[in-house]
Amino acid sequence: MSYFVSFLLAIVSAMLIDNVVLSRFYGICSFVGVSNKLKNAFSMGLAVTFVIVVAALICWPLYLLLELAGLSFLRTIVFILVIASLVQLIGFFIKKYSPSLYKALGIYLPLITTNCAVLGVVEENASQALDFGMSMANAIGTSLGFLFVIVLFSAIRIRIADTDTPKAFKGLPIALVTAALLAMAFTGLGGMVG
Amino acid sequence: MNIVLASVNPLTILWAVLILGGLGLVFGVALALAEKFLHVEEDHRIDDVAKMLPNANCGACGYAGCHDLAEALVKGEAKKVSLCKVGKADKNFEPIIQYLDSHPDEDGTKHVPTL
Repeated sequence: MSYFVSFLLAIVSAMLIDNVVLSRFYGICSFVGVSNKLKNAFSMGLAVTFVIVVAALICWPLYLLLELAGLSFLRTIVFILVIASLVQLIGFFIKKYSPSLYKALGIYLPLITTNCAVLGVVEENASQALDFGMSMANAIGTSLGFLFVIVLFSAIRIRIADTDTPKAFKGLPIALVTAALLAMAFTGLGGMVG
Repeated sequence: MNIVLASVNPLTILWAVLILGGLGLVFGVALALAEKFLHVEEDHRIDDVAKMLPNANCGACGYAGCHDLAEALVKGEAKKVSLCKVGKADKNFEPIIQYLDSHPDEDGTKHVPTL
């Protein structure tokens, strides 16, 4: 199999089969928190996509440097430093160019720092010693998976909001049940890529 | 007391400090520059009120942080200073009330919160 094909397969696999939210259970906080409006969900997905891809891009050579210096035990703190700086940067950016989005995302924007999907990706890249191409495939696939699923989930939640839900299930409970059903649906994709 | 410290190579410590310090410096400078370019002009009263709050950033008031509460107070969205659970009446709340009483909006409307 050529490298390019395995690159594409790694993206599909990280995006759909091992979906961050639904089968690895990363990043649930913002997945539930910002999915009540389609536009906000999409923006949140884009922000997380940006942070994951750029973090993976920066962290890969940094990890190489750490290993050369025999300091691979420092990787968590270095990765967090990179991620926190990126989130700060994207925060400035959104505040400048879209104050309304900045308000809508609220606390979830700085919380991308602690979104375990981001740290999860760079940590996986480091611990599985993936090469640069595969690291990027993992990052792109994972973040597209997050974007895809949060938009999907948000579209479902908007429809649920219009329906007559039993009182005990209104709001978050039905959202969590929906997320569980989505996760079960996604297990049907398991084993698609060998 | 026989704590094993000798097994750590001093060079390792030096590299750790250099790499982490260097990275921190690089990111810090980059963010400072980004802040300059992407700076948003804000009502200066928000910063002033934020300085008078305890700045614990605990979120107990229901806002995302002290700066958010300060913004809500200045805009009159938050009506009570005592939403802040950490602040003291004499140290934080009364100065804020006085400040907002003497600094009305440009058109003269006052949003003075109560205790």
